[in-house]
Amino acid sequence: MAAARPYLYLAPTLAVLAAFTYFPIARLAEMSLHAPGAGTSLGPWTGLSAYAKLFANPLFWRVLGQTLLFVSASVPVAMALALGLALLLDQPLRGVGVFRVLYYTPVVMPTVAVAALALWMFNANGGIVDYLLRSFGLAPVPWLVSDKWALPTLVLIAIWKNVGYYMIIYLAGLQSLPRAVLDAARLDGARPLVRFFTITLPLLRPTTFFIAVVALIGSFQVFDFVNLMTQGGPSNATNVLVYFAYQHGFEYLQLGMAAAISLIMFALVLTLLGLAAWAFNR
Amino acid sequence: MGLVPLLLPFYWMLVTSLKPKREVFTATPQWLPTHPAWDNYLLAWTAEPFARFFFNSIVVTALIVTLQLILASLAAFALSRFEFQGRRVIFWIIVAALIVPVQITFIANFMTLAHLGWLNTYAALVAPYAASAFGTFLLRQAFAAVPRQLEDAARLDGCSGLAFLWHVLLPLSRPTVLAFALVAVVAHWNDYFWPLIVTNNNAVRTLPIGLGMFVGQEVTTDWNLLMAASLFVSAPMLLLFFLMQRYFVQSMLRTGIRG
Repeated sequence: MAAARPYLYLAPTLAVLAAFTYFPIARLAEMSLHAPGAGTSLGPWTGLSAYAKLFANPLFWRVLGQTLLFVSASVPVAMALALGLALLLDQPLRGVGVFRVLYYTPVVMPTVAVAALALWMFNANGGIVDYLLRSFGLAPVPWLVSDKWALPTLVLIAIWKNVGYYMIIYLAGLQSLPRAVLDAARLDGARPLVRFFTITLPLLRPTTFFIAVVALIGSFQVFDFVNLMTQGGPSNATNVLVYFAYQHGFEYLQLGMAAAISLIMFALVLTLLGLAAWAFNR
Repeated sequence: MGLVPLLLPFYWMLVTSLKPKREVFTATPQWLPTHPAWDNYLLAWTAEPFARFFFNSIVVTALIVTLQLILASLAAFALSRFEFQGRRVIFWIIVAALIVPVQITFIANFMTLAHLGWLNTYAALVAPYAASAFGTFLLRQAFAAVPRQLEDAARLDGCSGLAFLWHVLLPLSRPTVLAFALVAVVAHWNDYFWPLIVTNNNAVRTLPIGLGMFVGQEVTTDWNLLMAASLFVSAPMLLLFFLMQRYFVQSMLRTGIRG
């Protein structure tokens, strides 16, 4: 009886994770090999045809590329900015606490509110961003209406929303560094830039890895801004994998295709995480 | 300089929300509304059944966070204070769930819930989030830090099992519990994706969905009302954050340090 207790305590958590996290992966695989309709039945067996269709569809490759572009543009920039801010806000200056709080504020905002605000600020008709550009003598930019600018605009908004989160984690990392090592380097007369690249940055490696993993997983999930601001447009210029799967599932009612897209995305995330782990542990 | 891109959006949201309609579109931006239109908030509030959405958000967030705290406490208790077969494997099974977000599993989970006939119910909004891998992990770390001697002393006083969890472990781990609860409240209050998948009925829709519908309708016209609505949807989290910011930062310190 006593031996069963820990299993009893773990059972509810394991049951929920099994039902809504692990079982669904198998279920996705099963669905992707069938053609489930709008109902609840699995539909006829279709083999690998959903995958074959996807791989033959140029739009799929474009969406995949755009997702990778979104990830590879937003993650490094946000992380570099976050590290810069963390270094600034690690100084024992007055008022630093206020700035830490301010930079974290966008993180607690609902994505929907941020999307509404961004739609207004980047609006082609009366948007404040274009006004500011013009007042500096620059040409206004067709932010969300041009297929060249729409994705970079979403990247910009995602960075604004997330940078405070990475900054706080970097701050935590900085504050756990061994002071003695940093002080010794300072006494040896190493210049700040040299100190940063030879001591601080290498010591921050575990923190950088942790943030990279969190940011990678998070940015692959981008959906809210796309659905609320561009619906994947103009002409699919901001379509990304989660949105593409959502479209197939809930607009075209091709749940088998949607499942295949989700699984491919999962495989991609796992591969990239594996690569990141390998690169950081080398 | 860095403060302009950070603060201007917040300022612009607030100012726009207080502008009468004719001051929203002006050749040069109106940096201060001449006559603050406070009734924008009332107009926005009644443009959609926001009172209902507010209520739903409170119910759903409260249910999710309560369940997560209970389930995570029990699981963390088992993982930190018991020796049993398969402990390491079970720990990794739980932690690995962190890399499988609902944005990957949603199609399958939608099918499951449709099959159960749960679409458009609170149950559909809550069930997939009833357990938290992140919370289990955080609480396990906190519980494991409580010294063994304390457990022995408590047992001599007749306090063991769940009583030990309730009277000793949880009170001693208060900062972690609070930090996790705050992060969970924010995450689920703000969640847009999952409610979008399983609701299409105002009776169960949450605030982010209501605001999202408002975005779809009001774009290109009533920016002042949209900004007012965005503000009252965000307000509870902003308030919570400013009141409890010490604990938010603490939770980040805890998770961040681990690497």
